[in-house]
Amino acid sequence: MIERRLTILAAILVLWGGAIFAKLLSLQVLHHREYVQLARNREELDVAISAPRGTIADRHGQPLAMSVPTESVYVNPLKVPDLQVASTILSLVLHMDRNDLYGKMKWANDTERGFLWVKRKITFDEGQSIRNLHLDWIQIQSESQRHYPNGALAAAVLGSVDFEERGNAGIERSYDSELRGKPGRVRLLTDVNRRGIDSQMETPPRAGTPLTLTIDERLQFVAEREIATAVAAHAAMSGSVVVMNPQNGEILALASYPPYDPNDPPQAGEKSARQNHGVSVPFEPGSVFKVITLSAALETTSLRPDSPIDCHGGVLRLPGRIIHDSHTGMGVVPMATVLAKSSNIGAIEVGMRVGQPRMYDYVRKFGFGQKTGLELPAESGGKLRKLGQWGTTSLASVSMGQEVSVTTVQLARAASVIANGGLLVKPHLILKKGSQTVPLPAPVRIVKPDTAITMRQMMEGVVLPGGTGYPKARLEGYSVGGKTGSAQIYDVASRHYTHTYNGSFMGFAPLTNPAIVVVVTLNGTHGTAGFGGQAAAPVFHAVATEALRVMDVPRDLPDQTPPPQLAKKAEVDDLSIADIGSDQPNILEEGDDESETAAAGPRVPNFRGMTMRAVLATAAAQGLTVVPGGSGVARMQSPPPGSLLHEGERIRVQFVR
Amino acid sequence: MATPAFSRKMEASAVAQPGRPAPVRAERDPYQLRSLPHEDVFFYSKKIDNSRLVREADPRSRSACWSAIGGAGLVLVLLTGVLAPSVANTLEGYKLESLRVEQRRLLSERQVLQLQEAEMLRPDRLETLAKRQDLVTPTTEQVVHLDGKSDGTVAMVK
Repeated sequence: MIERRLTILAAILVLWGGAIFAKLLSLQVLHHREYVQLARNREELDVAISAPRGTIADRHGQPLAMSVPTESVYVNPLKVPDLQVASTILSLVLHMDRNDLYGKMKWANDTERGFLWVKRKITFDEGQSIRNLHLDWIQIQSESQRHYPNGALAAAVLGSVDFEERGNAGIERSYDSELRGKPGRVRLLTDVNRRGIDSQMETPPRAGTPLTLTIDERLQFVAEREIATAVAAHAAMSGSVVVMNPQNGEILALASYPPYDPNDPPQAGEKSARQNHGVSVPFEPGSVFKVITLSAALETTSLRPDSPIDCHGGVLRLPGRIIHDSHTGMGVVPMATVLAKSSNIGAIEVGMRVGQPRMYDYVRKFGFGQKTGLELPAESGGKLRKLGQWGTTSLASVSMGQEVSVTTVQLARAASVIANGGLLVKPHLILKKGSQTVPLPAPVRIVKPDTAITMRQMMEGVVLPGGTGYPKARLEGYSVGGKTGSAQIYDVASRHYTHTYNGSFMGFAPLTNPAIVVVVTLNGTHGTAGFGGQAAAPVFHAVATEALRVMDVPRDLPDQTPPPQLAKKAEVDDLSIADIGSDQPNILEEGDDESETAAAGPRVPNFRGMTMRAVLATAAAQGLTVVPGGSGVARMQSPPPGSLLHEGERIRVQFVR
Repeated sequence: MATPAFSRKMEASAVAQPGRPAPVRAERDPYQLRSLPHEDVFFYSKKIDNSRLVREADPRSRSACWSAIGGAGLVLVLLTGVLAPSVANTLEGYKLESLRVEQRRLLSERQVLQLQEAEMLRPDRLETLAKRQDLVTPTTEQVVHLDGKSDGTVAMVK
């Protein structure tokens, strides 16, 4: 009996033990992974660690663009207890439209969306207010927001980012992959209250690479200030300034007008306003290009600064064209005077001595017609027709800076060749990536050192008395070399040159060992006041003065007080110059006619509408020499009425019935 | 302790027969308890004096007791040794995580302060402040760079 009872008891115990063992086997072997996963889901959190976007700083370490952490609010609409109440609460705290928010949440709920952004990149106060609500259906995610602490300063260089912090312009776009970085992930072990106990880094975040630019914040500010002032003063459309170190190609300032604030998102139709006019907008350079022409002549011909060049009295007939100089009395002058007075005809004569193939070759050598390789998107290489496409008068046009389009940066690089002794350097904006200095390609010699030094001496003549850049381009205490340019703007729609100009000045200082090259361009100026020597030279003066002071360049001249500014010549009548002696349309050329001479001659009277007898009588009474043409009533004259007459200069008057 | 007594019928049968000489009443048993009426069940109790009884010490139970105490203590120590690091780990983990959160917060704050510093050093703002103070940009000859002494007591040469 007892044995039977013991047996039954033993059987029960065995069964009980077996059941326990079976359950253990099920939990720890068969469904092990499933339960481990459940435990992990309950205890562990995957947290994304954002990688901050790399900072962009100027050459002195001043931040120009930086990212700061911010927060965004999102909800799971399926877990919101009451959409009406939720939208009311959130709209109050986050200063949003309640109906709009409710509509979005309702739509998300109806379409069974488990995620909805409520508001992105909220302020600190809004974040605190959200936290203080202690509502578990409101979630906050950390994000990053890009800030440009200097506002519009260097905006054309820096560019901007979109809402996802992806670069969409400028350096931000060119170096987006390096600046962006890579977010990481951390597995966080939490307790029942979701407090973190331990964390394990699964993927470490890789912060964006910080960039150091070659830009000097102070010079950039001065350049932007001065170009804005000049554009406003001359009612121009746009402008640009490039300040470059000619020895190594570092761009110290790259200003573009009109400016924009990259902190503000782009508005519709604002794309053209956000262009970098110094890099992306080419233009016909006009007389500044004569530096290239004369450099090619020094390299390939026997011409020297004192070589005589016949300027044909200011009129040159070419097949299908008549070219005029504003200085109608210029005959045979030294080549240096061709540059100082900016004679178009003199430049053409020099260009003809060079010849088409060699001119084309040297224009290409100076970097025109191709991109400089600057680290900005949308860089224009300008335009230079292939040699086979040159017409009969293309050599003449190119010699004086037409039939070729260039950018301000290309002009700066070309000027650097003269400034640094004949080496073509690569303009660049990036000084360092992280802590690594960016290596530079070796410069290429394109002209002999003698040629460069000779050009420097000739370019000094531009800013000396009698030169087109005198006195506004002169710097106190420093020798300067430069060239002015005043190119008429070609209207593509009407296919003719307008009476607006691209006024430019390209210069470097000090002459003996140039430390900076400054190129200024104003687009869309008017009248003689819009010429390079009048409009762009003052900007050069201000920017170069500041740059030399900041860079602590020693002076090479004693301080000189500039002479009093003489009266300007009246606005040149382009039409009159263009139509004299020709039945065909002319390519109107404007030399730089703003040279100030010490001796002020008589002013040209207005002969328009007068008969030939009356014109001759008036001229005789004033002791002026008139060269009449045609018959009838005076319609056109050169020089135009009101302009100063140089010694020995004659007045051409065209009569028409 | 009272021991159960079994019934005795001897005295009851002696009283029941007449003519015989009355039996001599036996001495009452001092351990017998008063009987219940009409019951022939008698109970006896007896006190047992154990005062002179000396409990003999059992060395084996003593050692077993101490062994049990020692074993329990050892188990406790072992359990503590096993669980304590885990508990300490958890507590330190709380501290670490809160420190990490604090570190992230401070780094964020530093970035915000750097941004504020950069905004305060904007060139246009500095120019406006300079104009208010009637300050002008010095010309080159107005800037004098001092030669630094070997002990660095003078302003550095640029």
